[in-house]
Amino acid sequence: MFLIAPVVLMATVSFRADLSGDLLAPFSPTLKQYQQAFAGEGYWRLLGISALTAFGVAAIATIAAYPVAYFLAFRAGRRAALYLILLLVPFWTSYLLRVMAWKLMLGSEGVVNSVLIAAGVIQAPLDALLYNRGAVIVTLIYVWIPFAALPILAGLGRIDVRLHEAAADLYAGPYDQFRRVTLPLSLPGVVAAFFMVFIPTVGEYVTPLLVGGTGGTMYGNIIQDFFTRAANWPIGAALSVIMLTATLALVIVGLRLVDPRRLLAR
Amino acid sequence: MDPWPTRTAGRKVACLAVTVLMLAGCTSGANATNPPSPTGSTAPVASVAPPSSTPAPTEIPPDKVTGSLSVLDWSGYDQEIFWQDFKNTYKNVNLSFEFGSSDADIYGKMKAGSEADVFHPYTGWLQFYVDEGLAAEIDTTKLKNWDKVPDSFKKIGQINGKQYFVPWDWGFTSILYRTDKISSVDSWAILFDPHYKGHLSMWDDGPGAVTVSSYVHGYDETNISADQLSAIKAEWSRQAKLNKAYWTAEADLDQMVQSGDVWAAYAWQGAFATLNGQGVPVAYANPKEGRNSWVGVYGVRKDDPNYDLALRFLDEKLGTLTGQNLVTNYFYGDANGDVMSGIADPSQAKAYTNSATGATPTLLAQTFSINDPSILQHTNFTPNLTSQQRDDWTAMWTEVKASQ
Repeated sequence: MFLIAPVVLMATVSFRADLSGDLLAPFSPTLKQYQQAFAGEGYWRLLGISALTAFGVAAIATIAAYPVAYFLAFRAGRRAALYLILLLVPFWTSYLLRVMAWKLMLGSEGVVNSVLIAAGVIQAPLDALLYNRGAVIVTLIYVWIPFAALPILAGLGRIDVRLHEAAADLYAGPYDQFRRVTLPLSLPGVVAAFFMVFIPTVGEYVTPLLVGGTGGTMYGNIIQDFFTRAANWPIGAALSVIMLTATLALVIVGLRLVDPRRLLAR
Repeated sequence: MDPWPTRTAGRKVACLAVTVLMLAGCTSGANATNPPSPTGSTAPVASVAPPSSTPAPTEIPPDKVTGSLSVLDWSGYDQEIFWQDFKNTYKNVNLSFEFGSSDADIYGKMKAGSEADVFHPYTGWLQFYVDEGLAAEIDTTKLKNWDKVPDSFKKIGQINGKQYFVPWDWGFTSILYRTDKISSVDSWAILFDPHYKGHLSMWDDGPGAVTVSSYVHGYDETNISADQLSAIKAEWSRQAKLNKAYWTAEADLDQMVQSGDVWAAYAWQGAFATLNGQGVPVAYANPKEGRNSWVGVYGVRKDDPNYDLALRFLDEKLGTLTGQNLVTNYFYGDANGDVMSGIADPSQAKAYTNSATGATPTLLAQTFSINDPSILQHTNFTPNLTSQQRDDWTAMWTEVKASQ
């Protein structure tokens, strides 16, 4: 109830004609919002861009998180707990603060530009670092890597160490051990990590708002705009329903393509 | 951290007040006298207590008034300096804040049934509060500071001929520019100038965009046709390629101009004064189309059981100290005429100087163009939107942003 009620409420609001009158009173449902949402070609384009961005961010964050998780599971030894805490330290600060830190890194008077200028690589600050889609992607990857490492770590932790020994007994070198034993067994964790990053990133709006500039807008910003800058909740709700459906469809298709159980069985 | 008790504590105070008053009521019944009520205008009190023991709220001395009041405001205005007079006068009232990030956000929260007693919208967004029955009429006879408010400001708070809002802060909108990058700006059209590609910043606001286009092309802002709206949409879609970032909070803009990322921007005078106070080389244009001006007002929620306390709050909001703090900290104008005329009074110079923000009577006079009345005469005031305009214009703007 706690989880379902807001979604039902959102779906209900999306069938309202406008925000006038009592919000809890009955109203005659209309598809007007969906018509407007489908008519605006920009929205579809942006949903596609957001899904692609999320795909890229999820893929890169997962790949980058894998060695981290591998290290923690097999190489860190007794200090694994300490390293895990170090990995999670950034989460003790607010999300906004971490995104703002990237603003300081990439700004025209930021760390990257200052270092490059001091090193004599460039003369004038690069404008193209901040306020574009690239900045959004870099920031999101940074933010998600520690998150993505956790399900992979859980997956790796479940692997019986004796399997490695058995593989070694069968003359498998480190590379073969990884490719034929560790990687396949950890794939469910990898898939979980991917979707854990992908799903929330499709609807992301805070990061693009802070570092995206004019060209870095994502679908989530449009939804947020309709709620907080336009006082037009019905169309915002309709766009949310569309995004929810689209994301769900993508996840189902994705899971069909890479069925974690099939991967495990291989 | 928070100098004020939380809401829960506030409720406890209210409960206590009810209990005390009920006891007082019993005593008064027995003695057939009217003891001075120890409490003020908390809602439950008025309904629970016998009428004989509740004097009219205005008769209670301020320091005897208790209760709690919640304010739906923009973040920043929760700072004590922006309700200094209220704090000094009503020491036993508990104030709590809820925040909105934009006019639409505040309207949405009120519409969704916010329990805030007082809310803070800006010109353009006033009509719907009255149309949707969210704002109570203001009994101005209870405001002792009301006479200090110029008539032109009073009129802005009137909808359908009745006073629904108390004006509080005001200012200009114009073009802010870096004088080390741009020698002079004489028109709003600079926001569309490809010469400054990547160094422009527009406010993230649909109605604001329609306003700028209307000024530039001489459209009637209150009567934009569908053709004009699609031309405006095309214009801003092209502008987006030149725009560095849309700003939402004034501090974001300040930072982008200060760092040199942005050279010319749609801006309120507060940004100009803040940057000027920080020593950034900036100027505030007087475009040939005229500046824009806006006014912030406070409204009281309709059928608010805390109505009397809310009016006391609004009255103190118009106080001199609060107004001077607004002027010297945010560089926003104050609706209290005495506060504004004080800027030019040399004997009050100290009250208009703030070393932290760089405020001086000279900078303030410049900021509000006090010495050049022709600027104000040539200024366009923000008209109220209809709900149709609001929905069409904001949708136009969202499509502009989505198409990038």
